[in-house]
Amino acid sequence: MEAKEISLEMKEYLVAAGAQTLDHCMQCGLCSALCPWRMVSGHISEVFYIRKMQRLGQLGLEGFDTEEVLFACTTCGICQLNCPRQVKIIENVRSMRSTTVEAGFVPAPVRSVVGSLHANGNPWSGPREKRMDWQQGVEVPAFSPDTEYLLFVCCTSCYDPRSQRIARSVVDILKKGGVNFGVIGEEESCCGETVRKIGDEELFKKLAESNIKLFKEKGVKKIITTSPHCLYTFKNEYPELGGEFEVIHYTQVVAGLVEEGKLVPNVPLGKKVAYHDPCYLGRHNEIFEAPRTLLKAIPGTELIELSRARERSLCCAGGGGRLWAEVPRGERFGELRVLDAEAKNANILATACPYCVIMLEADCLALDKQEKIKVMEISELLSASMGRES
Amino acid sequence: MDKKLAVYICTGCGIGDALDVDALSKVATKEYKVPVCKSHPFLCGAEGVELIKQDMEGEGVNTIVIAACSMRVNYDVFNFPNAIVERVNLREQGVWCHPANDEDTQMLAEDSLRMGIVKAQQSSPPEPFQAENLSKTVLVVGGGLAGLTAAAEAARAGYKTVLVEKNPSLGGWVTRLYKQVGLKPPYSELEDVDIAQRVKEVEENPNITVYKGAQIEKISGAPGMFDVQIRQNGNLATERVGSIVLATGAVAYDATRLGHLGFGRYPNVVTGEMFEEMAARGELKRPSDGKEVKSVAFILCAGSRDKEHLPYCSAICCTESLKQALYVKEKDPEATVYIFYKDMRAAGNYEFLYQRVQKEGALFFRGEIAGIEEDGGSMVVEFDDVLVGDRIRTEPIDLVVLATGMVPTTAIGERLVVQADEQGKESEPPADEIIKSNILNLEYRQGPELPTLKYGFADSHFICFPYETRRTGIYAAGSVRAPMDIPSTIKDATGAVLKAIQCIELTAEGSAVHPRVWDLSYPEFFMQRCTQCKRCTVECPFGAINEDEKANPLPNPTRCRRCGTCMGACPERIISFKNYSVPMIGNMVKAIEVPEEDEEKPRIVIFACENDAYPALDMAGINRLTISPWVRIIPVRCLGSMNLIWIADALSKGIDGILLLGCKHGEDYQCHFIKGSELASYRLSKISETLNRLALESDRVRMEQVGIMDYDRIPQIIEDFVSKLEEVGPNPYKGF
Ligand SMILES: Cc1cc2nc3c(=O)[nH]c(=O)nc-3n(C[C@H](O)[C@H](O)[C@H](O)COP(=O)(O)OP(=O)(O)OC[C@H]3O[C@@H](n4cnc5c(N)ncnc54)[C@H](O)[C@@H]3O)c2cc1C
Ligand code: SF4
Ligand code: SF4
Ligand code: SF4
Ligand code: SF4
Ligand code: SF4
Repeated sequence: MEAKEISLEMKEYLVAAGAQTLDHCMQCGLCSALCPWRMVSGHISEVFYIRKMQRLGQLGLEGFDTEEVLFACTTCGICQLNCPRQVKIIENVRSMRSTTVEAGFVPAPVRSVVGSLHANGNPWSGPREKRMDWQQGVEVPAFSPDTEYLLFVCCTSCYDPRSQRIARSVVDILKKGGVNFGVIGEEESCCGETVRKIGDEELFKKLAESNIKLFKEKGVKKIITTSPHCLYTFKNEYPELGGEFEVIHYTQVVAGLVEEGKLVPNVPLGKKVAYHDPCYLGRHNEIFEAPRTLLKAIPGTELIELSRARERSLCCAGGGGRLWAEVPRGERFGELRVLDAEAKNANILATACPYCVIMLEADCLALDKQEKIKVMEISELLSASMGRES
Repeated sequence: MDKKLAVYICTGCGIGDALDVDALSKVATKEYKVPVCKSHPFLCGAEGVELIKQDMEGEGVNTIVIAACSMRVNYDVFNFPNAIVERVNLREQGVWCHPANDEDTQMLAEDSLRMGIVKAQQSSPPEPFQAENLSKTVLVVGGGLAGLTAAAEAARAGYKTVLVEKNPSLGGWVTRLYKQVGLKPPYSELEDVDIAQRVKEVEENPNITVYKGAQIEKISGAPGMFDVQIRQNGNLATERVGSIVLATGAVAYDATRLGHLGFGRYPNVVTGEMFEEMAARGELKRPSDGKEVKSVAFILCAGSRDKEHLPYCSAICCTESLKQALYVKEKDPEATVYIFYKDMRAAGNYEFLYQRVQKEGALFFRGEIAGIEEDGGSMVVEFDDVLVGDRIRTEPIDLVVLATGMVPTTAIGERLVVQADEQGKESEPPADEIIKSNILNLEYRQGPELPTLKYGFADSHFICFPYETRRTGIYAAGSVRAPMDIPSTIKDATGAVLKAIQCIELTAEGSAVHPRVWDLSYPEFFMQRCTQCKRCTVECPFGAINEDEKANPLPNPTRCRRCGTCMGACPERIISFKNYSVPMIGNMVKAIEVPEEDEEKPRIVIFACENDAYPALDMAGINRLTISPWVRIIPVRCLGSMNLIWIADALSKGIDGILLLGCKHGEDYQCHFIKGSELASYRLSKISETLNRLALESDRVRMEQVGIMDYDRIPQIIEDFVSKLEEVGPNPYKGF
């Protein structure tokens, strides 16, 4: 048998790139077992084991850098939350990716994403001037030094037509709730969360620094985000780069208003709503109650818990740059979410993340369940319950 | 003693509702003419107990049969000093597992009472054995961590101690360590070895006599009165001690047998012990050329957990290698550390150490070594890494350290097999193995050292009674008992010395030690009829019986655990206890009423071991499982005390079947007297002869092994036997 050569130099390189807890891993394999890839069949499921990928990294052995292995992780975080050694698995993944991305290799599906981020500051190949197109006639206050909150709309909801509806409903409810907020618009760049997970540290830094500079210039102190991904980055990654802001997700703001009685959804919707905890809202930011408070506040809705909820929520498969990946039908774990909602007799699958909406809607369509189950963002339901046609 | 018998029937706990108590009383008053027979609705209450006490004072009652709950409960309530107390189990094994107000249940209760009365009639109160010139000194053999701890603890508890150490200085293995792993939180820091303070404490203690450079020449006697000869510098000293702690530790496995791992072939392959010395000298250098080491590989389980070498885990070498990995990292944080393991077993709190070593960047490899080779003065390891799923090769390594395992000192020496004699009888019971390790040099008929288990550790029950060896009054502690680390050794020695002190005190009271701590009876031999057959000396699991030149048995009551195995073994039936004897149990069997064949009420006697089977039967009752009404249960001290004559007695009386319920025997035995149930099954293998003589089927006798938790299986075990007996048909001796 030909033995494979260990490379300590390679291992050191990975550690230096940020995989600082790579050595802490004791190879118990819990991460691989919890990983959503275990729940589906197919090529990636067969080749991607996060435990093994980290093992290869520990020894600097080739194999961790194969594209379908290295770029499989959706950064859902369920492994990391449960690792008995508190290994920062996602940091390891990101750092291992960065060693190849910085060497010039970017996987095909995200090449255009990276390009557009460089050119336009958003991943959707949308020109900067069109960043405010989502407003479509809706009156949206502009941010000024007197405004309490900056509303930071996720690039996805700026450019993707389906997702733009989310931005509009968020604005609608914030306005009805009397929140003092405003938007900046064109000068904003993508928060950079996803591109960092893809492994492009440099680009992330560039985006983050430009946002920090902009926010400071405009006098931003508090930020409401529409997406939990922006929330995560602003909260956890911007401070290191000098960007200290008070950041909050819109569901938290609105749940506060509902609890105080300042916002009363009153149009009964008569729906059975299953709630999908987005990884980044739930596990990564530990926001489990606010979205549930909102759904419960809508008259005539029955809130259904999926069989995996809260900390155990099953990923939609859209994180870590996987939003742009091509995965054959039957191998997408988002489909399992739709089937779960169906088994629980839900007619709405609600969530609170623009990525989840895109993924789950596509899965619904792929399963041909769009007649039975409608994928909606919570803001859309709330807004409808307050009399707005969406 | 003039006996005045009284029977008390409790009608509480459902007994009175399920039985015809008047009819039951008549068994006592009419059949056995018992002068006092009373019933009470709550016998274990203050009033019930008072009733008995009044009869003792007023009527002179001194022999009491309590027909109520199991003997396993309320023994403290029904405790009447100077009286014989016999318990009849009407509750757990009576009304709780048989239907109420049923003819068969009533018959069962009446038979139980008959057996209880017969036993009480024939028992006499035990008179505790009083040995003379008792010593309360503890002897500790071995002055390592375990021995030092044991001596210090005994002295602290107020007992004089004699400590014998082979080496010229105390401290044992630990003195050779450079550092020890942390004994306190966070458990990931290394500490200076603290053995010197322990040695000082012992050497300065006026209650501890230390013999260094000394060895045991001979130990004779028995608990409370061991006579010890100690050889030191050619002189012989003698000491009389009460009990003994064996703490002679372990030695490292012989690395010269590990050529496949490069030892002896390459200078840069060393043992953990050698590495420890290098670290203590402060020189981590390659033996081949004196170069400072920049990379070290630790190979764990070197010769351990390996069928060809030591099949067991030595418990410390994982932790030990982790500690040594830190030596490397402390000297040079940039140095590379490889750790090759089968399983990482950082026992106790040393998971914290493991985590620390991981964080310091050591590389861990799980799997099997495929090869170790030299490459230009450095070593290269090839390894089948389970976690990669492939064979891998390291970069050049300066030094390879083999983590060798532990061999107990009791495992080293010529193997002796103890048998009755050399007549080569084909059906000997399984023999004990004793290794002549030259440690205790006991003057015991059964051999000079402790019987050992298959890897040479002293035989004991690792879960139920870890310290008790097979020689009463001798308790093993530390790495001679089982591989263990420093914290475990300290606890172990403390536990063992406590056992040694208990032994001293119980012996002074004339009581047995574990597991029959309350028992004051002991076996007595009616020597006039002894045939010198040696069965008792050989079968006693505890080596209690010596022999004179004429092969007469010489019992040592303070060595005895009161199991009755000798009583079961003796073909002449001349060994008996005041409250337990062959005729006594035989008469209990005879007291059972056997219905005529046409009544179709078969009878089965169950001899149930008191340690596990009897409590399991009680638990069946507590859980209200239903048991066949045909059984009559007789508790025995150990199945080893079962004398074949009982089976003959039962069968000739017309009993249809006999079921023996005893502990699991064999390698993972659960027998509280180690060999008892095994010996019973051996004796049973010889019963067919007797049965043939009586023209009976051997199917009528069955033995089953039950654990204490097997209560749920019990009804089925009995049911299966009942069906078998139905096939065989009724005992033709009925009515004779
Ligand atoms: C290489 C190695 C490194 C270790 N490092 C650690 C560590 O870092 N941390 C840890 O927790 N544990 C460690 N251990 C385990 C620890 O050393 C043992 O648990 C502990 O020493 C056991 O103590 P002991 O008294 O039972 O045996 P020992 O220390 O072996 O003492 C036995 C004593 O009995 C004496 N003796 C032997 N035969 C006779 C005889 N016939 N008559 C009289 N005296 C006799 C011996 O000379 C010795 O002094 C290590 C063990 C080894 C083998
Ligand atoms: S769960 Fe943690 S320790 Fe276990 S294999 Fe995964 S990363 Fe390693
Ligand atoms: S973060 Fe999620 S997708 Fe990534 S390895 Fe862990 S469990 Fe799998
Ligand atoms: S302690 Fe570790 S190295 Fe030692 S035998 Fe056990 S598993 Fe092997
Ligand atoms: S066999 Fe049992 S009862 Fe008999 S001498 Fe030995 S220990 Fe005592
Ligand atoms: S078993 Fe009985 S007959 Fe045989 S030597 Fe012992 S006491 Fe004597």
